[in-house]
Amino acid sequence: MGVISAIGNTVAENRLALSEARCGISALTLFATKYADSRPCGEIKLSTDDLSLQLNANEPGITRTSLLALHAFEEAIRDGQLSPAQLTDADTALIGGTTVGGMCLTDELYQDAQQIESGSEYINSYDCSSVTMYLQQRYKMNGIINTINTACSSAANAIMYGARLIKAGLAKRAIVGGVDSLAKFTINGFNALHILSPEICTPFDEGRKGLNLGEGAAFIILEKEEVVGNKKLYAEITGYYNSNDAYHPSSLSDAGDGPFLAMNGALQTARLSPGSIGFINAHGTGTENNDLVESRAMLKLFNQPPPFASTKSNVGHTLGAAGAIEAVYSILNLHHQEIYPGLNCKTPISETNLKPVDRYKKISLQHVMSNSFGFGGNCTSLIFSKC
Amino acid sequence: MPLFYIHHTNCISPQQTFPDADLSVLHQPVNYKLQVIEPKYDGIPPGILRRMSKAVRIGAGAALPLLNKLPATDGIIIGTANAGMEDCFHFLKQIVDYEEGQLTPGNFVQSTPNAIAAQLSMISHNNGYNITHVHLGLAFENAAIDAGMMIKEQPEHNYLLGAVDDIATYNYTLNSLAGWFKKEAFTTDNLYELNTPGSLAGEAATMFLVNGNPFNAIAQLRALHTIHSTDEIIIGEQLKTFLEKHLPEGEKIDLLISGENGDSRLLKYYTTCENGLLENVMIVRFKHLCGEYPTAAAMALWLSCYILQENQIPQHLIKQQSADKAFKNILIYNNYKGAQHSFMLVSGMG
Repeated sequence: MGVISAIGNTVAENRLALSEARCGISALTLFATKYADSRPCGEIKLSTDDLSLQLNANEPGITRTSLLALHAFEEAIRDGQLSPAQLTDADTALIGGTTVGGMCLTDELYQDAQQIESGSEYINSYDCSSVTMYLQQRYKMNGIINTINTACSSAANAIMYGARLIKAGLAKRAIVGGVDSLAKFTINGFNALHILSPEICTPFDEGRKGLNLGEGAAFIILEKEEVVGNKKLYAEITGYYNSNDAYHPSSLSDAGDGPFLAMNGALQTARLSPGSIGFINAHGTGTENNDLVESRAMLKLFNQPPPFASTKSNVGHTLGAAGAIEAVYSILNLHHQEIYPGLNCKTPISETNLKPVDRYKKISLQHVMSNSFGFGGNCTSLIFSKC
Repeated sequence: MPLFYIHHTNCISPQQTFPDADLSVLHQPVNYKLQVIEPKYDGIPPGILRRMSKAVRIGAGAALPLLNKLPATDGIIIGTANAGMEDCFHFLKQIVDYEEGQLTPGNFVQSTPNAIAAQLSMISHNNGYNITHVHLGLAFENAAIDAGMMIKEQPEHNYLLGAVDDIATYNYTLNSLAGWFKKEAFTTDNLYELNTPGSLAGEAATMFLVNGNPFNAIAQLRALHTIHSTDEIIIGEQLKTFLEKHLPEGEKIDLLISGENGDSRLLKYYTTCENGLLENVMIVRFKHLCGEYPTAAAMALWLSCYILQENQIPQHLIKQQSADKAFKNILIYNNYKGAQHSFMLVSGMG
């Protein structure tokens, strides 16, 4: 697996930062927006030019989103020791989730969309599929290639789709993940919805003031048991479920129907009882609506929920990448038998009184659940298990 | 076992396809764009309709009558490359015009492509599987693969499978700049004959109700294959493998539905595909009905259902006539921008 986020450029750096309860959320420095100082973000402090140089990726029209994806993808294939032949194999699928895609170039897009004579080098790079297509072309991949956009649960659905391709016999190996970069577009969008916190976010705290946006990418290599050989294994994906909350375009229903159905469905897919989940990587964005509804749904399903936390307080809400980054974190939980603290929750929400774990702990874990809920009511839960 | 059986279809397109289809009269493009004929949308509450973008509107208009046919549909699977573009551009304009000031969030919330599947779930109170595939020219094919996997796991489940793309200022301008639309004057009569680069901009919303039950079905999608390549030799080779693998012994392709779109640069792929079939196969083209757009393959799947039901083909669709009167096996070949290709094998129920 591979990951890049505001707390580190590799899996190892991310793990260390999580263990040390570090937060990567700060003032924006890489592009101009009115909100650079007033709306902190989980920004990766590597300029787009630096990324391009480091990765030796300078194809015309390449965007920051594609570069972040490439960064995590390269780490994943190095870690998984995939050969060029395995990458080009017709049985190797690539599934990416993203919502911002090439729209990180908000101003360029606006200019190009009004041109009559000639466009910029980016005219083919704005849409979501440009990221996955870039990786497909760079590595000459020949299996099923797909891009999914279900807003903030995009990457979780990409992981689920890859697992199902393998189960259905349509791939033997699936490289699955997600990416999003910070953009003027999303900063203004979430700000207009009044859910961007002016301070560092405080998931599951009574006084929470909203979310911080973040950026990043993560990819995971899923392989069918028979092609794994004697490679190092991190975990098994045992459960997944996708449900729509069917309530409102940008907020969750009071009772959390979608979150409940997603978590419950994932347990059923994995044939597990609620009691077997040892830790939940919660969606926990830090908004008034999400954290309360997610808490209610956890209480309804688990009665006494297992330890849980949200890593949004470390890296911000990375939107379409969140499900993949948090899948990597969940797999690290299992692989190292440890849990990382959620940050900044001082007073639990009074109605639900659920407090995220607040310190690093070694713990025996068999199954970890990861939640991703998105605009449009798109809820997906995944379960990873120790193998 | 096929990927799924198709039981109902709906299509809102630039032609007379909704609520009833009649392809005998051909509607011509206006300002070199083929835009959909919008219906009255009786099933959508006016307050909700007013806030919908065109992509969501035509998607919901085509989908809701199908969702109402059943007490419960188990999931909503949509392929779209462009849905949300219109709102995306409106929001961009707000950012620029008001210099990131106090903006209204409506356009932002509707700017993501999952707005169609999301609205459908909300209007029909559907808590089932809900997903939006956005892989450009293969967004619909990936959605169809998804539906096929769902039905393989639960053959008794019903899924709404659909594709929606519309012409928004934003994608029209970007595709024009990139040279994907013809620059000279043309009509649908000479679209295929001009031998110049570029095609005709189009749009449509196409919906299918699919499950694993052959009883009373219109058609079955027996196989689907996608390719990323710009090499026509690979397309030819993979067609051969596809037919060997999926066409039952002793059977042949009776009809080719070709995605040929008038772009001289892409003709080689379609010719390769025609050459891979029997010499006297019947060939039908459809891009003069709906124009070129990323999920146009869904229109071809709709057309194959139409042909299987009507068992006759309007003259304007026919590129190559054959002596065959009955069509059992239909091959759909489409490509988008010469980089994303798909084969679909559709068969009737006879």
